[in-house]
Amino acid sequence: MTSTESGLASGRHGDPEREARDSHPYVLTSNDAALGASLRRWLDESRLDWPATFQLDVQVVETVAVVDDTREAFPQADLLIQAGAPDGTVRITWGSRAMAIVDATEPRATVQMTPEAVAALETAERAFLLVTLLFVLRRVGWYHIHCAALVDPRGRGWLLVGQSCSGKSTTSALLASHGWSVSTDDIGFLSHSRGEGSKGSVEGFRSPIALRDGGQALLGKAGGIDLSRRGKTGFDVEDLGARWVSRVTPEFLLFTSTGTTTSVTALGPRAVINHLIESSLWVLFELVHAQEHLDALARIATQSRAFSATLGPDLFANPDLLQELVQ
Amino acid sequence: MKGSFRRHADLRLTALADEGVVLHLGERRYFTVNETGLAILNALEQPRTYDELVAGVLDEFEVEPEVAAETTTAFLQRCIDSNLVLAVDT
Repeated sequence: MTSTESGLASGRHGDPEREARDSHPYVLTSNDAALGASLRRWLDESRLDWPATFQLDVQVVETVAVVDDTREAFPQADLLIQAGAPDGTVRITWGSRAMAIVDATEPRATVQMTPEAVAALETAERAFLLVTLLFVLRRVGWYHIHCAALVDPRGRGWLLVGQSCSGKSTTSALLASHGWSVSTDDIGFLSHSRGEGSKGSVEGFRSPIALRDGGQALLGKAGGIDLSRRGKTGFDVEDLGARWVSRVTPEFLLFTSTGTTTSVTALGPRAVINHLIESSLWVLFELVHAQEHLDALARIATQSRAFSATLGPDLFANPDLLQELVQ
Repeated sequence: MKGSFRRHADLRLTALADEGVVLHLGERRYFTVNETGLAILNALEQPRTYDELVAGVLDEFEVEPEVAAETTTAFLQRCIDSNLVLAVDT
Protein backbone atom coordinates (compact mmCIF):
# COMPACT_ATOMS: atom_id res chain seq x y z
CA MET A 1 0.00 0.00 0.00
CA THR A 2 1.27 3.43 -0.81
CA SER A 3 0.21 6.47 1.10
CA THR A 4 0.87 9.98 -0.06
CA GLU A 5 -0.08 12.82 2.18
CA SER A 6 1.16 16.25 2.92
CA GLY A 7 1.98 17.25 6.43
CA LEU A 8 -0.80 19.78 6.69
CA ALA A 9 -1.64 19.96 10.33
CA SER A 10 -5.11 20.70 11.60
CA GLY A 11 -4.74 24.01 13.36
CA ARG A 12 -7.14 26.22 15.20
CA HIS A 13 -8.72 29.05 13.26
CA GLY A 14 -7.20 32.40 14.06
CA ASP A 15 -3.82 31.02 15.09
CA PRO A 16 -1.42 33.06 12.93
CA GLU A 17 1.61 31.00 13.90
CA ARG A 18 -0.14 27.80 12.92
CA GLU A 19 -1.44 29.26 9.69
CA ALA A 20 2.04 30.41 8.74
CA ARG A 21 3.31 26.92 9.36
CA ASP A 22 0.55 25.41 7.27
CA SER A 23 1.43 27.63 4.35
CA HIS A 24 4.71 25.73 3.98
CA PRO A 25 3.81 22.09 4.50
CA TYR A 26 6.17 19.25 4.01
CA VAL A 27 5.31 16.34 1.78
CA LEU A 28 5.90 12.94 3.30
CA THR A 29 5.36 9.78 1.33
CA SER A 30 5.73 6.24 2.57
CA ASN A 31 4.85 2.70 1.60
CA ASP A 32 3.89 2.12 5.24
CA ALA A 33 0.83 4.09 6.30
CA ALA A 34 1.41 3.63 10.01
CA LEU A 35 5.01 4.74 9.74
CA GLY A 36 3.97 7.74 7.66
CA ALA A 37 1.44 8.74 10.29
CA SER A 38 4.02 8.40 13.07
CA LEU A 39 6.54 10.50 11.21
CA ARG A 40 3.99 13.19 10.43
CA ARG A 41 3.15 13.31 14.13
CA TRP A 42 6.86 13.63 14.95
CA LEU A 43 7.30 16.47 12.48
CA ASP A 44 4.14 18.25 13.59
CA GLU A 45 4.98 17.95 17.26
CA SER A 46 8.27 19.71 16.61
CA ARG A 47 6.08 22.80 15.97
CA LEU A 48 8.71 24.11 13.58
CA ASP A 49 7.48 26.92 11.38
CA TRP A 50 8.87 25.34 8.22
CA PRO A 51 10.56 27.95 6.02
CA ALA A 52 9.66 26.19 2.77
CA THR A 53 8.17 23.01 1.49
CA PHE A 54 10.38 19.98 1.74
CA GLN A 55 9.89 16.35 0.79
CA LEU A 56 10.65 13.11 2.55
CA ASP A 57 10.03 9.75 0.94
CA VAL A 58 10.36 6.99 3.53
CA GLN A 59 10.25 3.43 2.33
CA VAL A 60 10.27 0.35 4.50
CA VAL A 61 12.54 -2.25 2.95
CA GLU A 62 13.79 -5.66 4.03
CA THR A 63 17.39 -4.69 3.41
CA VAL A 64 18.89 -1.30 2.74
CA ALA A 65 20.19 -0.92 -0.78
CA VAL A 66 23.93 -1.25 -1.27
CA VAL A 67 25.26 1.93 -2.83
CA ASP A 68 28.69 2.25 -4.37
CA ASP A 69 29.77 5.45 -2.67
CA THR A 70 33.51 5.89 -2.31
CA ARG A 71 33.36 9.29 -0.67
CA GLU A 72 35.01 9.70 2.69
CA ALA A 73 32.63 8.64 5.46
CA PHE A 74 32.36 10.96 8.44
CA PRO A 75 31.31 9.11 11.62
CA GLN A 76 28.75 10.86 13.79
CA ALA A 77 27.54 8.81 16.74
CA ASP A 78 26.00 5.69 15.15
CA LEU A 79 25.88 7.24 11.70
CA LEU A 80 28.20 7.47 8.74
CA ILE A 81 27.76 10.56 6.63
CA GLN A 82 29.12 11.12 3.14
CA ALA A 83 28.82 14.35 1.21
CA GLY A 84 30.33 16.48 -1.49
CA ALA A 85 31.66 15.72 -4.96
CA PRO A 86 30.98 14.28 -7.36
CA ASP A 87 27.19 14.53 -7.13
CA GLY A 88 26.73 16.73 -4.06
CA THR A 89 24.22 14.47 -2.36
CA VAL A 90 24.45 13.63 1.31
CA ARG A 91 24.25 9.96 2.21
CA ILE A 92 23.46 9.08 5.80
CA THR A 93 23.84 5.46 6.86
CA TRP A 94 22.60 4.05 10.16
CA GLY A 95 24.37 0.69 10.15
CA SER A 96 22.37 -1.87 8.21
CA ARG A 97 19.14 -0.43 9.59
CA ALA A 98 18.52 2.65 7.50
CA MET A 99 19.92 4.96 4.88
CA ALA A 100 18.96 8.38 3.57
CA ILE A 101 20.07 10.28 0.52
CA VAL A 102 19.53 14.03 0.57
CA ASP A 103 19.39 15.78 -2.78
CA ALA A 104 22.39 17.92 -3.70
CA THR A 105 20.46 21.18 -3.76
CA GLU A 106 16.73 20.60 -3.34
CA PRO A 107 15.06 20.10 0.08
CA ARG A 108 14.17 16.49 -0.35
CA ALA A 109 15.42 13.13 0.84
CA THR A 110 14.73 9.52 0.07
CA VAL A 111 14.91 7.25 3.08
CA GLN A 112 15.03 3.49 3.44
CA MET A 113 14.31 1.93 6.80
CA THR A 114 14.33 -1.74 7.70
CA PRO A 115 11.67 -3.22 10.01
CA GLU A 116 14.37 -3.21 12.71
CA ALA A 117 14.69 0.57 12.39
CA VAL A 118 10.92 1.04 12.34
CA ALA A 119 10.61 -1.06 15.50
CA ALA A 120 12.92 1.40 17.26
CA LEU A 121 11.23 4.46 15.83
CA GLU A 122 11.88 6.84 18.72
CA THR A 123 15.59 6.08 18.48
CA ALA A 124 15.46 6.23 14.69
CA GLU A 125 13.84 9.65 14.78
CA ARG A 126 16.45 11.10 17.06
CA ALA A 127 19.56 9.27 15.90
CA PHE A 128 18.93 9.08 12.18
CA LEU A 129 15.91 10.93 10.82
CA LEU A 130 16.73 14.13 12.67
CA VAL A 131 20.17 14.26 11.04
CA THR A 132 18.52 13.67 7.69
CA LEU A 133 16.17 16.54 8.43
CA LEU A 134 19.09 18.81 9.33
CA PHE A 135 20.57 18.35 5.89
CA VAL A 136 17.21 18.83 4.19
CA LEU A 137 16.62 22.07 6.08
CA ARG A 138 20.09 23.37 5.20
CA ARG A 139 18.77 23.53 1.66
CA VAL A 140 16.09 26.01 2.68
CA GLY A 141 18.32 28.20 4.81
CA TRP A 142 17.97 26.73 8.28
CA TYR A 143 21.21 25.68 9.95
CA HIS A 144 21.35 23.33 12.89
CA ILE A 145 22.89 24.46 16.15
CA HIS A 146 23.18 22.35 19.28
CA CYS A 147 21.75 24.67 21.90
CA ALA A 148 18.99 25.53 24.31
CA ALA A 149 17.04 28.67 23.46
CA LEU A 150 15.08 30.64 26.05
CA VAL A 151 13.55 34.03 26.73
CA ASP A 152 13.98 35.58 30.17
CA PRO A 153 11.19 37.38 32.06
CA ARG A 154 12.42 40.70 30.60
CA GLY A 155 11.91 39.41 27.06
CA ARG A 156 15.59 38.92 26.26
CA GLY A 157 16.72 35.95 24.22
CA TRP A 158 19.38 33.57 25.48
CA LEU A 159 21.18 30.64 23.91
CA LEU A 160 22.85 28.04 26.07
CA VAL A 161 25.38 26.45 23.77
CA GLY A 162 27.35 23.35 24.61
CA GLN A 163 27.83 19.69 24.14
CA SER A 164 25.86 16.98 25.89
CA CYS A 165 26.07 16.99 29.69
CA SER A 166 26.96 20.68 29.80
CA GLY A 167 23.90 21.71 31.78
CA LYS A 168 21.66 23.01 29.00
CA SER A 169 18.61 20.89 29.75
CA THR A 170 18.77 21.03 33.52
CA THR A 171 19.20 24.81 33.42
CA SER A 172 16.39 25.12 30.88
CA ALA A 173 14.09 23.14 33.16
CA LEU A 174 15.05 25.26 36.16
CA LEU A 175 14.51 28.54 34.32
CA ALA A 176 11.27 27.25 32.79
CA SER A 177 9.94 26.87 36.31
CA HIS A 178 10.93 30.46 37.17
CA GLY A 179 9.21 32.58 34.57
CA TRP A 180 11.34 32.00 31.49
CA SER A 181 9.93 30.84 28.17
CA VAL A 182 11.60 27.96 26.40
CA SER A 183 11.95 27.14 22.73
CA THR A 184 14.24 24.12 22.91
CA ASP A 185 16.67 22.51 25.31
CA ASP A 186 18.75 20.86 22.60
CA ILE A 187 17.92 21.37 18.93
CA GLY A 188 17.85 24.73 17.24
CA PHE A 189 18.00 26.07 13.72
CA LEU A 190 19.65 29.36 12.87
CA SER A 191 17.37 31.46 10.73
CA HIS A 192 17.39 34.98 9.45
CA SER A 193 14.57 35.95 7.14
CA ARG A 194 11.97 35.98 9.87
CA GLY A 195 14.20 37.36 12.58
CA GLU A 196 13.93 40.83 14.00
CA GLY A 197 15.31 43.27 11.47
CA SER A 198 18.77 42.17 10.47
CA LYS A 199 19.18 39.97 13.52
CA GLY A 200 19.51 36.25 13.50
CA SER A 201 17.17 33.98 15.38
CA VAL A 202 16.98 30.39 16.47
CA GLU A 203 13.96 28.25 15.73
CA GLY A 204 13.42 25.62 18.39
CA PHE A 205 12.56 22.00 17.71
CA ARG A 206 9.95 21.38 20.33
CA SER A 207 10.35 18.25 22.39
CA PRO A 208 10.18 17.51 26.11
CA ILE A 209 13.08 18.86 28.12
CA ALA A 210 15.06 15.68 28.71
CA LEU A 211 16.70 15.31 32.11
CA ARG A 212 19.01 12.69 33.47
CA ASP A 213 18.42 11.47 37.02
CA GLY A 214 20.80 14.05 38.46
CA GLY A 215 19.08 16.93 36.73
CA GLN A 216 15.65 15.70 37.76
CA ALA A 217 16.82 15.39 41.36
CA LEU A 218 18.12 18.97 41.29
CA LEU A 219 14.84 20.14 39.84
CA GLY A 220 12.96 18.23 42.54
CA LYS A 221 10.08 17.35 40.28
CA ALA A 222 8.57 13.91 40.11
CA GLY A 223 6.67 12.38 37.23
CA GLY A 224 7.48 13.35 33.69
CA ILE A 225 7.60 11.46 30.43
CA ASP A 226 9.45 8.18 30.31
CA LEU A 227 12.41 8.53 27.95
CA SER A 228 14.14 5.48 29.35
CA ARG A 229 15.64 4.52 26.00
CA ARG A 230 17.68 7.68 26.34
CA GLY A 231 18.14 7.21 30.07
CA LYS A 232 16.18 10.37 30.72
CA THR A 233 12.86 11.75 31.88
CA GLY A 234 11.06 14.39 29.82
CA PHE A 235 9.03 17.39 30.87
CA ASP A 236 6.91 19.53 28.60
CA VAL A 237 7.70 23.17 29.25
CA GLU A 238 4.07 23.84 30.19
CA ASP A 239 4.32 21.21 32.93
CA LEU A 240 7.13 23.29 34.38
CA GLY A 241 4.98 26.40 34.32
CA ALA A 242 6.59 27.90 31.23
CA ARG A 243 5.41 29.00 27.83
CA TRP A 244 6.84 27.48 24.70
CA VAL A 245 8.06 29.94 22.07
CA SER A 246 8.88 28.99 18.51
CA ARG A 247 11.72 31.44 18.00
CA VAL A 248 14.37 33.19 20.06
CA THR A 249 16.41 36.18 18.97
CA PRO A 250 19.45 35.94 21.21
CA GLU A 251 20.98 38.81 23.13
CA PHE A 252 23.07 36.53 25.30
CA LEU A 253 25.16 33.51 24.42
CA LEU A 254 26.35 31.25 27.21
CA PHE A 255 28.84 28.52 26.36
CA THR A 256 28.13 26.13 29.14
CA SER A 257 29.88 23.60 31.28
CA THR A 258 29.03 22.29 34.72
CA GLY A 259 30.86 22.87 37.97
CA THR A 260 30.40 23.41 41.66
CA THR A 261 29.69 27.15 41.51
CA THR A 262 27.96 29.23 38.87
CA SER A 263 30.13 31.87 37.22
CA VAL A 264 30.46 33.61 33.86
CA THR A 265 33.42 35.07 31.97
CA ALA A 266 33.04 37.41 29.02
CA LEU A 267 34.38 36.08 25.72
CA GLY A 268 35.93 37.84 22.75
CA PRO A 269 34.84 37.38 19.14
CA ARG A 270 37.43 34.75 18.29
CA ALA A 271 36.42 32.44 21.13
CA VAL A 272 32.75 33.03 20.38
CA ILE A 273 32.93 32.04 16.73
CA ASN A 274 35.09 29.04 17.57
CA HIS A 275 32.50 27.81 20.08
CA LEU A 276 29.64 28.48 17.68
CA ILE A 277 31.27 26.55 14.87
CA GLU A 278 31.88 23.62 17.22
CA SER A 279 28.19 23.63 18.07
CA SER A 280 27.08 23.90 14.47
CA LEU A 281 29.63 21.62 12.86
CA TRP A 282 27.73 20.92 9.67
CA VAL A 283 28.94 24.33 8.53
CA LEU A 284 32.20 22.55 7.73
CA PHE A 285 30.68 19.61 6.00
CA GLU A 286 29.43 20.57 2.58
CA LEU A 287 29.81 23.47 0.21
CA VAL A 288 26.11 24.01 -0.29
CA HIS A 289 24.95 26.95 1.84
CA ALA A 290 28.23 27.01 3.76
CA GLN A 291 28.59 30.76 3.27
CA GLU A 292 25.04 31.43 4.48
CA HIS A 293 25.54 29.13 7.44
CA LEU A 294 28.80 30.87 8.39
CA ASP A 295 27.14 34.28 8.03
CA ALA A 296 24.31 33.12 10.29
CA LEU A 297 26.82 32.12 12.97
CA ALA A 298 28.65 35.43 12.65
CA ARG A 299 25.35 37.32 12.88
CA ILE A 300 24.47 35.60 16.14
CA ALA A 301 27.96 36.25 17.47
CA THR A 302 27.82 39.92 16.55
CA GLN A 303 24.39 40.69 17.98
CA SER A 304 24.94 38.95 21.32
CA ARG A 305 26.97 39.37 24.45
CA ALA A 306 28.83 36.14 24.97
CA PHE A 307 30.12 34.40 28.06
CA SER A 308 31.74 31.19 29.09
CA ALA A 309 29.43 29.92 31.82
CA THR A 310 29.99 27.38 34.53
CA LEU A 311 26.63 26.17 35.78
CA GLY A 312 26.54 24.96 39.36
CA PRO A 313 23.91 23.65 41.78
CA ASP A 314 23.84 27.08 43.44
CA LEU A 315 21.76 28.24 40.48
CA PHE A 316 18.87 26.32 42.00
CA ALA A 317 19.06 28.47 45.13
CA ASN A 318 19.05 31.63 43.03
CA PRO A 319 17.56 31.12 39.55
CA ASP A 320 18.07 34.84 38.82
CA LEU A 321 21.82 34.43 39.17
CA LEU A 322 22.55 34.22 35.46
CA GLN A 323 20.76 37.50 34.81
CA GLU A 324 22.68 39.10 37.67
CA LEU A 325 26.05 37.82 36.46
CA VAL A 326 25.74 39.14 32.90
CA GLN A 327 24.85 42.70 34.01
CA MET B 1 56.62 36.78 -5.27
CA LYS B 2 55.94 36.20 -8.92
CA GLY B 3 52.82 35.14 -10.79
CA SER B 4 49.22 35.33 -9.73
CA PHE B 5 47.43 33.81 -6.83
CA ARG B 6 43.89 32.84 -5.98
CA ARG B 7 42.29 31.52 -2.87
CA HIS B 8 41.19 27.90 -2.73
CA ALA B 9 37.68 27.38 -4.09
CA ASP B 10 36.66 25.56 -0.91
CA LEU B 11 37.20 28.62 1.31
CA ARG B 12 34.34 30.58 2.82
CA LEU B 13 34.95 33.80 4.73
CA THR B 14 33.07 36.17 6.93
CA ALA B 15 33.98 39.24 8.97
CA LEU B 16 33.58 39.30 12.73
CA ALA B 17 34.54 42.38 14.73
CA ASP B 18 38.09 43.21 13.63
CA GLU B 19 38.81 39.69 12.49
CA GLY B 20 37.77 37.22 9.87
CA VAL B 21 36.65 33.64 10.07
CA VAL B 22 37.79 31.29 7.33
CA LEU B 23 36.40 27.84 6.65
CA HIS B 24 38.33 25.40 4.51
CA LEU B 25 35.52 23.07 3.53
CA GLY B 26 37.73 20.71 1.58
CA GLU B 27 39.72 19.99 4.70
CA ARG B 28 36.90 20.61 7.21
CA ARG B 29 38.88 23.01 9.33
CA TYR B 30 38.51 26.63 10.27
CA PHE B 31 40.58 29.46 11.63
CA THR B 32 40.53 33.15 12.28
CA VAL B 33 42.61 35.82 10.58
CA ASN B 34 43.17 39.49 11.33
CA GLU B 35 41.52 42.18 9.26
CA THR B 36 44.51 42.48 6.93
CA GLY B 37 44.45 38.77 6.25
CA LEU B 38 40.73 38.90 5.64
CA ALA B 39 41.19 41.75 3.14
CA ILE B 40 43.86 39.79 1.28
CA LEU B 41 41.75 36.63 1.17
CA ASN B 42 38.75 38.63 0.00
CA ALA B 43 40.84 40.12 -2.80
CA LEU B 44 41.97 36.64 -3.78
CA GLU B 45 38.49 35.61 -4.83
CA GLN B 46 39.86 36.66 -8.22
CA PRO B 47 43.43 35.99 -9.38
CA ARG B 48 45.76 38.73 -8.11
CA THR B 49 49.43 39.41 -8.44
CA TYR B 50 51.55 40.06 -5.41
CA ASP B 51 51.85 43.71 -6.40
CA GLU B 52 48.08 44.03 -6.67
CA LEU B 53 47.69 42.58 -3.21
CA VAL B 54 50.20 44.99 -1.71
CA ALA B 55 48.44 47.88 -3.45
CA GLY B 56 45.15 46.69 -1.98
CA VAL B 57 46.59 46.63 1.54
CA LEU B 58 47.97 50.15 1.04
CA ASP B 59 44.56 51.34 -0.15
CA GLU B 60 42.69 49.85 2.75
CA PHE B 61 45.02 50.36 5.69
CA GLU B 62 47.13 53.27 6.85
CA VAL B 63 50.53 51.58 6.73
CA GLU B 64 53.91 52.30 5.19
CA PRO B 65 54.67 50.54 1.89
CA GLU B 66 57.38 48.45 3.54
CA VAL B 67 54.94 47.24 6.17
CA ALA B 68 52.31 46.43 3.55
CA ALA B 69 54.84 44.42 1.58
CA GLU B 70 56.14 42.54 4.60
CA THR B 71 52.63 41.78 5.84
CA THR B 72 51.46 40.60 2.44
CA THR B 73 54.53 38.45 1.87
CA ALA B 74 54.27 36.73 5.24
CA PHE B 75 50.52 36.15 5.06
CA LEU B 76 50.55 34.97 1.46
CA GLN B 77 53.35 32.52 2.12
CA ARG B 78 51.55 31.07 5.14
CA CYS B 79 48.41 30.69 3.09
CA ILE B 80 50.27 28.94 0.28
CA ASP B 81 51.94 26.60 2.76
CA SER B 82 48.54 25.81 4.28
CA ASN B 83 46.81 25.15 0.96
CA LEU B 84 44.55 28.16 1.36
CA VAL B 85 45.95 30.03 -1.60
CA LEU B 86 47.15 28.60 -4.90
CA ALA B 87 49.45 29.94 -7.56
CA VAL B 88 47.54 30.18 -10.83
CA ASP B 89 48.50 30.45 -14.46
CA THR B 90 47.30 33.65 -16.07
